[in-house]
Amino acid sequence: MKQLRDSLSHAARIEQRSAYLLVTPALLVVLVVAIYPLGSGLLKSFTDETFASDRAPAYVGLRNYSSLLGVAVRITKPLTDLATGAALTDSRTGAPKYPSPDDVLPRRPVRYSPLGEFSVLGTRVVVGARDPAFILAILNTLAFTLITISFEVTLGTLLALLLQRRFRGRGALRAIMLVPWAIPTVISSRMWAWMFASTRAGFFNVILQCAGIGNGQIPFLEIKGWQLPIMCMIDIWKTTPFMTLLVLAGLQLIPLELYEAAEVDGVTRTRRFWRITLPLLRQTLAVALVFRTLDALRVFDLFQIVLGESRYSMASYTYYQLIQNRAAGYSAASGVIIFLLIFGFAVLYTRILGFQAASHQE
Amino acid sequence: MKKTLAVLSLLLVSFTVAFASGGGEKAAAASQTVTMIFDAVQQNHDALYQEYAQKYTTAHPGVKVVVTYGPKTVTDLLGLYLQYFAAKRSDVDIYGIDVIWPGDIADHLVDLNAYGAKDVVGQYFSSMVQNDTVKGRLVAVPYLANAPVLYYRTDLLKKYGFTNPPGTWAELADMAAAIQKGERAAGNQDFWGFVYQGKAYEGLTCDALEWVASYGGGTVVDSSGKITINNPNAVAALKFAAGTVGTIAPAGVTGFDEEASRAVWQAGNAAFMRNWPYAYTLGNAADSTIKGKFDITTLPAGTSGQKAGALGGLALAVSKYSKSPQQAADVAFYFAGKDFQKAMLIKSSEPSPIVSLYQDPDVLKAIPFFSKMKDVLTNAVPRPSTATAPKYNEVSRLFFTAVHSTLTKEQDPQAALTGLESSLQDLLNK
Repeated sequence: MKQLRDSLSHAARIEQRSAYLLVTPALLVVLVVAIYPLGSGLLKSFTDETFASDRAPAYVGLRNYSSLLGVAVRITKPLTDLATGAALTDSRTGAPKYPSPDDVLPRRPVRYSPLGEFSVLGTRVVVGARDPAFILAILNTLAFTLITISFEVTLGTLLALLLQRRFRGRGALRAIMLVPWAIPTVISSRMWAWMFASTRAGFFNVILQCAGIGNGQIPFLEIKGWQLPIMCMIDIWKTTPFMTLLVLAGLQLIPLELYEAAEVDGVTRTRRFWRITLPLLRQTLAVALVFRTLDALRVFDLFQIVLGESRYSMASYTYYQLIQNRAAGYSAASGVIIFLLIFGFAVLYTRILGFQAASHQE
Repeated sequence: MKKTLAVLSLLLVSFTVAFASGGGEKAAAASQTVTMIFDAVQQNHDALYQEYAQKYTTAHPGVKVVVTYGPKTVTDLLGLYLQYFAAKRSDVDIYGIDVIWPGDIADHLVDLNAYGAKDVVGQYFSSMVQNDTVKGRLVAVPYLANAPVLYYRTDLLKKYGFTNPPGTWAELADMAAAIQKGERAAGNQDFWGFVYQGKAYEGLTCDALEWVASYGGGTVVDSSGKITINNPNAVAALKFAAGTVGTIAPAGVTGFDEEASRAVWQAGNAAFMRNWPYAYTLGNAADSTIKGKFDITTLPAGTSGQKAGALGGLALAVSKYSKSPQQAADVAFYFAGKDFQKAMLIKSSEPSPIVSLYQDPDVLKAIPFFSKMKDVLTNAVPRPSTATAPKYNEVSRLFFTAVHSTLTKEQDPQAALTGLESSLQDLLNK
């Protein structure tokens, strides 16, 4: 028995060696095309290099990172009248007055610009950041990712379940459904931006006015509370067909005998979904989730075209820093942070969703 | 063995072909070529460029002038130019640069004073020449000038009993309110008194600079680099502007760029518009609803009595990586010179930086409103791009973000300007 095992592993070892040889050219390509730029970007992030300049870059260590991610949190107490010691209150609302964030946050040697202030459990917290635009960009991108992923996976699965049944026009519907995904993002973003135009030249203004809401002058894209929902909506419109297709492919792999057996056993539709469909869809959903999370964290064209410089995603902020500010080192650091975030998500998914190698399925 | 032979012979053939064609290319280039690059909008005038390129070659045999075009938006164009500079490309000699770029990219441009600029520089508006001078070096020659004007509806002014266009912002607000009230009462619910650009982008920096400068609030950062924005005049200017949103200007003005505001104006739904001169010819097009019903004038003055329009336009710069900078400088001066500028002016109504052309009878016959442009251009206020170089883009972003937050009523003007001052201090003293 042992002899057989040894000879097998010997053959396997020869196979392994030739496998390595065959993989080497592809590995070289990946090294040149992916690892080298990544490495050079990483090295650049430790310098203060200016894009398109003759000035020799100087090594600055982690200064770019501390500038990008530096956050200060301060707790403030209500302002009190110096004479009487009583708390000062706002004459209109009666709420206690707090010092302005600018007075509380550190100013020298570097300024922490106010990011926001809120009350939690009775204490007033002021948050400041060295680069508030970048911190907001991270928050924007993360919120965008979470919202779009949840909607896209849910809607995609629902639509896939619908499209799995046979009905007249199913083929045509599948083709039409792909149109949002097929239109280049650049074009569809521009289209949506026009629809949200702030006068009655905009589709939504006209519709809402007909419904009696607003006077046709709502500046959707300028209202801070509307910006992120609109971006999410555009992305969900665009990507749900893609998710539907992925999940549909996964659904085809589930053998029909399982459903038949369940029906014979008297299992209800809902339980059939949760006990048969969903577990067997796990691998497909994992792939779809990884695809979309990585894409959503990298979102650039949508934010660049629709919101421009009024609200950034991480990627559009990196582009702004590189081209407008020519801060190559700074934007490289920003790029590395994006990479680390994406890498973190990828590792998280691998752990939670459990991608399984072929050899384990014995 | 057979396979190796096949691969070797294939490699041999491909190398031979590569070397052969490479050698052929080198033999062809005998005459000199000067290449110019502009943004995509200039391609509208391609016929004119080719005509004058041909004229130059006829006058200077052996020199060929090639005109190429890049992307449309200012950001993409800058990105392209920076890539060319980073690669030290010698095949593009002349770059058409925006007026806010000289300070930023001066390191890649030659000093035109060393190539005979002193002879030609006197014919331009001095503010433009000053804008293109970085640390004593003239890095670009003014090419196209641009300054915004106030468009007003002559028919509506007459209808509501106003004889002259407004001279101050306060007058404009009164006239706009009166006309808007009247037109709304007459049934046009889409009518607004005043439209301008309030979106958070570089255009808002221009509009806001005009408000602030006309109220005597300075230019954000003065020419010596001192931050002057946080003063009561600037606060008053922004208070006025924020007050127009939703009253005489639509709430959506906070999302308007040039084309969006022109859309409202050209549909006949605005009494006043602040925009660049390009909208004049478009407004008088055959299918325009306002054809013949409007005119232009300088922007109103604020409490300081100064009328201010933000300076825009293009300049021609010679790259320091060019193989023949003297030749390139000659071509640049030719296209920035009177002959071409006059032809361009008459054909496109794009304002020229040459002062004398504004009194030229041929020009005034072709474009009558240009008699007013001289005044507008003399009052043009350059944005503080050269003073804050190389950080102008960030300064501009901080400025228009602060102004935008006052227009959307997120912040009151004083708080916004105090915050802006701190941010600028942090940025410029870094």
